[in-house]
Amino acid sequence: MSEHVASPATTERRRLPVFRLQEGIGLLAILVLIVVVLSSLSPVFLTQRNLLNLLIASTTIAMIAVFTTMLMVSGGLDLSVAATAALTGVVIAETQEALGIWGAAALGVAVSALVGAINGFMVTVVRINPFITTLGMLSVARGLAFVIADGLTVPVFDPGFAQLSEGMIGPIPLPVAVTLTLFVAGWAVMRFTVYGRAMYAIGGNAEASALAGVPVQRYRFIAYLLSGLSAGVAGVFLTSRLYAAAPQAAQGYELTVIAAVVLGGTSLAGGKGSLVGTFIGVLILAALTNGMTLLSLSTDYQQIIQGIVLLLAVGLDQIRVGSLGRLAAMRT
Amino acid sequence: MDNNRRPLLEMRDISKRFFGVPVLDRVSLDLYAGEVLALLGENGAGKSTLIKILNGDYQKDGGDIYLDGELVTLREPRDAEAHGIRMIYQELHYAPDLSVAENLLLGHLPRRGPFVDWKAVDDIARKYLALLKVNIPPRALMRDLSVVEREIVEIVKALAIQARIIVMDEPTAALAPREVDILFEIIRNLQAQNVAIIYISHRLDEIPRIANRVTILRDGKHIATRPIEDLDTREIAQLMVGRKMTERSRKTAPAAGEPVLRLERLTRPGDFEDISLTVGRGEIVGIFGLLGAGHGRLTRAIFGADTYQSGQIFINGTPVTIRSPRDARRAGIGFVPIDRKVQGLVLDMTVRENVTLANWGQLSRMGWFRRRLERANTQKWVDRLGIRMAGGVETRTRYLSGGNQQKVVLARWLEAGVKVLILNEPTWGVDVGARADIYEQLEALAAQGLAILIVSSDIQEVLSVSHRILTMHKGRISAEFSRADASEERLLQAAAGGEA
Repeated sequence: MSEHVASPATTERRRLPVFRLQEGIGLLAILVLIVVVLSSLSPVFLTQRNLLNLLIASTTIAMIAVFTTMLMVSGGLDLSVAATAALTGVVIAETQEALGIWGAAALGVAVSALVGAINGFMVTVVRINPFITTLGMLSVARGLAFVIADGLTVPVFDPGFAQLSEGMIGPIPLPVAVTLTLFVAGWAVMRFTVYGRAMYAIGGNAEASALAGVPVQRYRFIAYLLSGLSAGVAGVFLTSRLYAAAPQAAQGYELTVIAAVVLGGTSLAGGKGSLVGTFIGVLILAALTNGMTLLSLSTDYQQIIQGIVLLLAVGLDQIRVGSLGRLAAMRT
Repeated sequence: MDNNRRPLLEMRDISKRFFGVPVLDRVSLDLYAGEVLALLGENGAGKSTLIKILNGDYQKDGGDIYLDGELVTLREPRDAEAHGIRMIYQELHYAPDLSVAENLLLGHLPRRGPFVDWKAVDDIARKYLALLKVNIPPRALMRDLSVVEREIVEIVKALAIQARIIVMDEPTAALAPREVDILFEIIRNLQAQNVAIIYISHRLDEIPRIANRVTILRDGKHIATRPIEDLDTREIAQLMVGRKMTERSRKTAPAAGEPVLRLERLTRPGDFEDISLTVGRGEIVGIFGLLGAGHGRLTRAIFGADTYQSGQIFINGTPVTIRSPRDARRAGIGFVPIDRKVQGLVLDMTVRENVTLANWGQLSRMGWFRRRLERANTQKWVDRLGIRMAGGVETRTRYLSGGNQQKVVLARWLEAGVKVLILNEPTWGVDVGARADIYEQLEALAAQGLAILIVSSDIQEVLSVSHRILTMHKGRISAEFSRADASEERLLQAAAGGEA
């Protein structure tokens, strides 16, 4: 055999970058820009209290976004997460007397897992397109929440249960700590485990993965199951924070979640994405919402601005990647 | 043909170079109205270059093209179309959800004011379908048609835009035998309309049935043009290959060890039938077949990517049930698919991640990768197979050359510890130097005891690497040759359906 170009010594030492900086630098810049602008416009923005509020408010989106990232890296999509979170809340509210609050919470989470499992079944076995499957499930879950709660907001007040959102671990509110833990754990899973590798492989090339013997449909099913489960957990925390469950809770959150994930650089086509990116994406959207509320901008305007930020961020990224891609194609 | 008539098309002394390499050297071709001219040659003989020059896709470096005796310039496909020249490629381009009539008249639908005149669409479509005696309802949707019907619509479409010369590139490659009959019927009707046809095919057995004359190219040169009556398929094969002896060293094949892979009457009707073969330890068995002979589908079935209807697969003498690639991997079978970019690699993953893709079980503990082991194993295969890349094992496979990409797929199965390796067109799109390298690797792997089955439409490939060669024709094994007995002519003839 002939001589080798790459010597083992140089490749051995090469480390995986935690996050491909050149891909994320634009994103960080946007976050910094938003923080700078908002803090100059509002003296309240950078206070510790406001930042904590901002983080707590973002936890519902953030918890779900961890698992949506995994799902989308595998080429999947779940539009039913917000409705599932609301359904979980309603189930807790309606069964808290019969089962006790923790039993009710467990049931709520079990329901969310069931929703995820049904999504996974529809996509992997019945082979309905994920968009259609989870759009249908969105409708079913939201409708069920309204039927079960009879359209009403039901109070859920249990001092222990409220501690879920009010408790502190040192200086960090419990929901924020849980979210951060999820992000770190999810990041490690995506980088160091078979499951994470499967998400990237399936999203990158499902056919090649299957031909390498990867159980593609099993992993896709698990990704949907976890997506549903994460919505349920987010629903538990949301219910605790609001002291109530409402069938219309978390309305539209599914789109915010997807916006944050896509903003973070995850490809809708699958195969690419990272939880570091999603983390920044969530922060950008949370800072924007919080800041605009401080500036007493109406929610109508907030929607417009959020949409523009999403289009700008992803659009700029596309132009950059696109032109680089074209250059590379020209060279070969 | 009536030789007193002037040819409709004359291509005289056409030359073409790519990057200084001559691919066509003063090639001439003439074509008369109402005839079928078979244009034959091995891969790389220059057929497609010549046709692309005729279609205006490429510019010739020398020579002239005359239509009806007049010098013409064909700068782009639109010029060719304006002169009534029409290509029908293997891969058809049509709108599946539109009707036959709409597809026929696409781009120039008759109108009444701003609206499409649907009655006129129907009438015109009917007229052309009738001209070729085609029995396809004009309102049928393209997606509901069979492959041959779609091809026929494409031919009718050529007629509808007043084509005088139609070039068909491997029109029967995807067709079943009875569909070929239907297609030939249509081609004869087309001849009756005085259209001239250039017919390209690798299936030598069908040439005498449809062609009036043959033009044979070899290595970019015109070899012969003869009436079909003057040649039989054996002579055609000889002319295509030339009398040159193949230069490869004829090492005697090593003795095969005990059978590792054995197929017994593996069958999927219409694709492959009654396939029985064995591949021994340390043996490289080649299956040669022309496009559509069913050898590619056979490999997918052995690997569990497709199904088989009957028959049995044995590994080391034990019958195994293979319903998925996972089953195949468990049984110790690896598969290098034809299109490494679509079926082989996850292009955006690294060399390391692609090499270990089929061996997660051994490289992880409780679902977590043993990173040092993974890296070391990858490096081992990179070194052993000589996989070259700029950035080490963390390079994304997208940035590797074709030959190195193929080695990554190879490494994956070695890493998975398979006993049998099946390769479908292993050097498709790989340049010549890297090819020889891959052949050497395969030889070395066989010497270490791997059983290798190579399936290919590239005759040189099969000849240079196999210890034993089978040919497939229309889904069946048509002949078997030892390394010593095999020659291009004999293989080509056996694969084309002639008697060996």
